[in-house]
Amino acid sequence: MKVTFKDVTLSYDGKKDTLKNLNFTIPDGALVSLLGPSGGGKTTTLNLISGLLPATSGHIYFGDEDVTKKDALARKVGMVFQNYSLYPHLTVRDNIAFPLKMQKVSKAERYKRAEELAKLVHVDDQLDKKPAGLSGGQQQRVAIARALAKSPSLLLLDEPLSNLDARLRIEMRQEIRRIQQETGVTTIFVTHDQDEALHISDHIMVLSFGSIQQFSTPAELYERPSNLFVAKFIGEPVINSVPADVLRADLVESVPASVLAQAHTVGIRSEAIVPFDNGQGMVAKIHATLQQSQKYGRESTAYLTYNGQQLLSTELAGLPASQTEGDFFLTKAGFFLFNEQGALIFGGEAHDK
Amino acid sequence: MINEKPTLKSSLKAYLYLLPMLVISLTFNIWPIISSFLMSLYTKYNFYTDKVDAMGFDNFVYLWNDPDFHLAVRNTLVFVAGVVPVTVILSLIIALLLNQVKWLSGFFRTVYFLPFVTSTVAIAMVWNWIYHSDYGLMNYFMGLVGLHPINWLTDPHWSLLALIIMSIWKNLGFNIILFLVGLNNIDKGYYQAAEIDGANAWQRFWNVTIPMISPITFLVSVNGVIGSFKVFDQIFALFQGQPGPANADLTIVYYLYQKFYTEYKYPIAAASGVILFFLILLVTLVQLWYSRKHVHY
Repeated sequence: MKVTFKDVTLSYDGKKDTLKNLNFTIPDGALVSLLGPSGGGKTTTLNLISGLLPATSGHIYFGDEDVTKKDALARKVGMVFQNYSLYPHLTVRDNIAFPLKMQKVSKAERYKRAEELAKLVHVDDQLDKKPAGLSGGQQQRVAIARALAKSPSLLLLDEPLSNLDARLRIEMRQEIRRIQQETGVTTIFVTHDQDEALHISDHIMVLSFGSIQQFSTPAELYERPSNLFVAKFIGEPVINSVPADVLRADLVESVPASVLAQAHTVGIRSEAIVPFDNGQGMVAKIHATLQQSQKYGRESTAYLTYNGQQLLSTELAGLPASQTEGDFFLTKAGFFLFNEQGALIFGGEAHDK
Repeated sequence: MINEKPTLKSSLKAYLYLLPMLVISLTFNIWPIISSFLMSLYTKYNFYTDKVDAMGFDNFVYLWNDPDFHLAVRNTLVFVAGVVPVTVILSLIIALLLNQVKWLSGFFRTVYFLPFVTSTVAIAMVWNWIYHSDYGLMNYFMGLVGLHPINWLTDPHWSLLALIIMSIWKNLGFNIILFLVGLNNIDKGYYQAAEIDGANAWQRFWNVTIPMISPITFLVSVNGVIGSFKVFDQIFALFQGQPGPANADLTIVYYLYQKFYTEYKYPIAAASGVILFFLILLVTLVQLWYSRKHVHY
């Protein structure tokens, strides 16, 4: 189901707005991630959608229906909590069937549905166990099955992978993607891990300081961050950001003078610093000293110093170890200029004039 | 240290540390239990010379045939059945309400806890006045709703109920505190999950609160059953040293007290103590068996 927020504001104490004038539309059938640092308002947004929190002002629509005044009971969404909140006194079968029991579905019917869902999430061999007897990944699967039991129009997941170890996290995020595609349910996924969000989402909403920084596809988020915060938040290693004055002289040729005059900060992705002109469009050539390079598995990083600023590049693995300085090129892709307010004014294919 | 194998020397050292406590509990707990079990079998016994001439089961036969003891067992069972369920349910309800109140909740908690720290004698004095047939609050309030006054403390039909009401009131405070602790230990996440799962307030109470609080309910009811079986001081204080009008409040422990201190029939008193012991054991075992299925830790 389509979810629409219109000017939604939330304040916990009546003084400070935790969320300010949120406006967005989540398309039907999509998997959307709410991404952002801790305290940015991700879980608050999710709780507003679920109905566990009432909005201070504004309107929330499910499809065309205004659900602002409805509580969690009436909104009928499915939700997976960060610590799963499986009922410890019930077996896996009863946990999955619990929402149906609340709807007074007959025992035979709800157990049949529980078994189907258990098969979908691959826990059909654990049905008679209590949650305490399951591993973290299995508990996670049971929690998803329980959330899906009442065939919700919306599936909400609140940092569902944060309690799992690294390898399981990767497995489970693929599972969530698979289950979402098999069921076609509109899914909203809260995470603070950009890797998770970039890998499984159709759309990502970056939330920080109580407002939406950017709401777009994962690729666009990376290739065309709408502001400095998003540019810094998305991408590993973190984007190089240096004062515009450092590079101003080198950019006169490639950047319009009016844009350059407003430039305050330059953002350069680590893969945008290359040792030779690869013919795909360069914005600048800089002469820098090569400080140190390190190799971790297939990744290698090197630090360059230019005009007293340190820049990190991941594309210098081919250079001889003895080289200490040289000419380096900045590619058009992965090069951004931001104005004083942090908004993007140059870079990203669509903005290219 | 942790993986060290116990040697004879280290074991002896450990026992030495345990000795002071062992001596005290052997002298004042274990030995009296054994001796009262033995005493219940003495049929010819001189208390002053501690001389036992004959042993047997005559004391139990005596109890089997004594109508007073039958009455005491009956009264005790009625008392337990009257006090424990009401205490458990009422204290859970009050704890739930107190958990909802934000304003003055500390004050209410103190008020409900007061009976627990007040002496039974003082409580009985107050209730003596509350139950007074002419000037008592109880009859006054009953008069307000149009009920006839009752001679709470002198009518044998009502005096056991009077005792039950006072005991419930006295037990509430401590049990409320236990339930409050249990309620606060329930993760709020379960309630959110249940709300998302479509459970209304009533369903959340039955499907989350009740199962999650079951260990406390079990503790409170076992504790209540044991305590109520042993009821004595409330009776003694409320009826000024009498087991109620026409023995209407005679309980097993009161019976034991009478046999021991006023009739000097020590072996009979010991035998009634043994029966009380097995009664409590039996009921507690039943509760344990029930808890296997219905208490979720």
